[in-house]
Amino acid sequence: MRVKLEKRVQISKYEIIAVRIASIVLALLSIGLLFIVSGIDPFYAYSVILSGVFGSTFGISEVIVKSIPIGLCSLGLSLAYTAKVWNIGSDGQLIMGAIFATWVALFSNFPQVLILPSMFLAGFIGGLVWATVPAFLKSKYNVNEVIVTLMMNYISLNLLDYLLSGPWRGHGVFNYPITDEFPKFARLPSIPGTRIHYPTLILLILLTFLILFVMNRTKFGLEIKAMGDNLEAARISGIDTFKNSLIVMMISGGLAGIAGVGEAAGIQYRLIRNISPGYGYSAIIPAWIGGFNPVVVLVASLFVSALFVGGNIAKVSLGLSYGLINVFNGVILIFLISSEYLVGYRVRIEWT
Amino acid sequence: MSGKIKSKKGYSRLTVALAAGVIIALIAGYILGSLGKVPESNYYSLQQQYQNLTALVQNLTASVQAQKIRAAFIYVGPVGDYGWTNAHDVARRYVQNLFPWLETFYVESVSAADAPAVIDSLIAQKKVNVVFTTSFDFMDATVEEAKKHPDVIFFHCSGYKRDKNLGTYFAELYQLYYLNGLMAGALTKTNKIGYVGAYPTPEVIRHINAFALGVKAVNPNAKVYVRWLMAWYNPDGARQAAQALVSEGVDAIAYTEDSPAIIQFAEEQYKTTGKMIYVFSHYSPMYDYGPDVVVSGELVNWGVIYEDILMKIKEGVYNNTNLQNVDYWWMLKEGAVELGAKFGMPINPKFVNALKGKFVQDPTLGNISIYDLIFVRLNQMSEETVTFDPFTGPIKAQNGTVMIPTGVRAGHDTLWSLNWFVDNVVGSPTG
Repeated sequence: MRVKLEKRVQISKYEIIAVRIASIVLALLSIGLLFIVSGIDPFYAYSVILSGVFGSTFGISEVIVKSIPIGLCSLGLSLAYTAKVWNIGSDGQLIMGAIFATWVALFSNFPQVLILPSMFLAGFIGGLVWATVPAFLKSKYNVNEVIVTLMMNYISLNLLDYLLSGPWRGHGVFNYPITDEFPKFARLPSIPGTRIHYPTLILLILLTFLILFVMNRTKFGLEIKAMGDNLEAARISGIDTFKNSLIVMMISGGLAGIAGVGEAAGIQYRLIRNISPGYGYSAIIPAWIGGFNPVVVLVASLFVSALFVGGNIAKVSLGLSYGLINVFNGVILIFLISSEYLVGYRVRIEWT
Repeated sequence: MSGKIKSKKGYSRLTVALAAGVIIALIAGYILGSLGKVPESNYYSLQQQYQNLTALVQNLTASVQAQKIRAAFIYVGPVGDYGWTNAHDVARRYVQNLFPWLETFYVESVSAADAPAVIDSLIAQKKVNVVFTTSFDFMDATVEEAKKHPDVIFFHCSGYKRDKNLGTYFAELYQLYYLNGLMAGALTKTNKIGYVGAYPTPEVIRHINAFALGVKAVNPNAKVYVRWLMAWYNPDGARQAAQALVSEGVDAIAYTEDSPAIIQFAEEQYKTTGKMIYVFSHYSPMYDYGPDVVVSGELVNWGVIYEDILMKIKEGVYNNTNLQNVDYWWMLKEGAVELGAKFGMPINPKFVNALKGKFVQDPTLGNISIYDLIFVRLNQMSEETVTFDPFTGPIKAQNGTVMIPTGVRAGHDTLWSLNWFVDNVVGSPTG
């Protein structure tokens, strides 16, 4: 018997979808085995988790709450990854966005009506500025952007620590390393009964279609796709790859910065050290699952958020340990990412 | 399933009910079996008694169910850490075994962003009526949830915001750090003592100051060198910080970090090079990690606090309208904390003689051995009326300013918001 891998010549949309669905089903089956080993009826467990996530407005609203920051970061990453610019620094860019927005909220003295729009603008600029450094180093000196963006996450975290335990430490907080709460006019409204800060959600949806338009209907979109296919060829054909990779990295950072604004102004109402529980890292997954297509990425962000919310529900309802939850989430994502390969190749078994 | 639901008492209650049922069935069986021998009038009275008994059991079960407290614990870390979360979970299991009317639930490794959702689903699905949130990170979330669920009683650990259905509690260690400081000051040979701090929060600054005040009380020449980790849990960082301190001549280290890394480091040094670094264990019993180097430490017992809170909720002393001013700030006197690196062992016997052999001149106690001084202070701080407090003036900050005037004992609010170091500390209180 021989197992052969053949490159698929043509792949239809349905085949891609079929592979994705098959990989999720396989993942769920494998996790089912893990459930059985841990002494839990898998059907019961899945029904509890599914009804918890999708069977109540609470579960659905929490999925949306999480998909806002994950979606925004993921959207930006898709743009950068299309041009093969590997931004791993969304988390740091998110934090910089939150820091810039916090400055506007607490220290700017702007007119009240301008505060929220300025916060979004500032957050965008914060993330953008943070992404400019690795983008510039990459374009100008060919410094590996994976390392630089990753390292800059830690720098932003330390900057956050410095601000919180130093100059920005709140006055009414008994010297804890957190800022004062944002005034009412610097808080984003949410849909009553939920934590969905809808201005950020609307922004996410608008930006998704804007990026979709840019990618498919503009010269710039064509250029970055060309860069993704073959950088050298793109350069020879006259595309300004320096400028373009700078731009995609900056937009990518800016979008992560907006996610930071949402977290600070829509969820925490102040700047805290744990402003991001790793959203910037989580966002890498939906970008890949979604094949860098903005709309699919948005759906994938919802899926990944549902995994996290489902994990929390499993912790509460089934009393599972957090370690097991992480294993489950990891298994699903590994199956999905591996299926990426099977989209391009066909497995053929020859019985000889 | 059975192994996974964290509600032991639910099962033992079931067991009790089943046992009761079996007994009743046996009695009934016996009665019915001996019917032939019983006169008819007796049979009816027995049947009547049986029915009464059944009704009684049903009523009792119903009333126990009705008064049941269902308490949820929200943890910031995994229950298997070697510090904060583990200490709370030990206490949860303690109250769970103590009170038959209590059922507990916990959710571990919850982030600040997820806390509201986790609390909501615990209330919705597990019908909990008491929620303990055990991290400062959860303060804002707890306040919001307390407003959203006015029928539920909330207690938040380590914060300062309260509401009519939200109280606060904390087990405070500074008295123990002072006693550890007395030991460090007496034992050091280099007069350089290290402190590895997690974050520059008022709590950690308070502990460093108390430790330094203890050092100063027995050794005015010694200084306390502070290194910040900027993490509550970072064994590698803690180890490196300890290494750096030792290379600068430090020979005694206390710390705030949720692992025994520094103790393991000191034990290794002792075993491999014979170099003695006196260390003080933090939060959990860590004696076993360094029996040759651990002098003492700080131990916490959240159990007494949870016991008191739950008891008072059960008795109706606390309800969802009167918690505005309920703030537990429990220390030695209340038994919420204990001196030592192991429960029941305040000082490692290995170092007792060294401490007995050193003397200090105290204005009121006269010439007294450090060992005796430690226990005098321990007793003074454990009495119903606390007659000694480390934060009694005159206490000066690093720049020489008198922060607590002579004879004044610092109050709760001063200690709760410390942002300066006492004058024998070297380092910055802002990290």
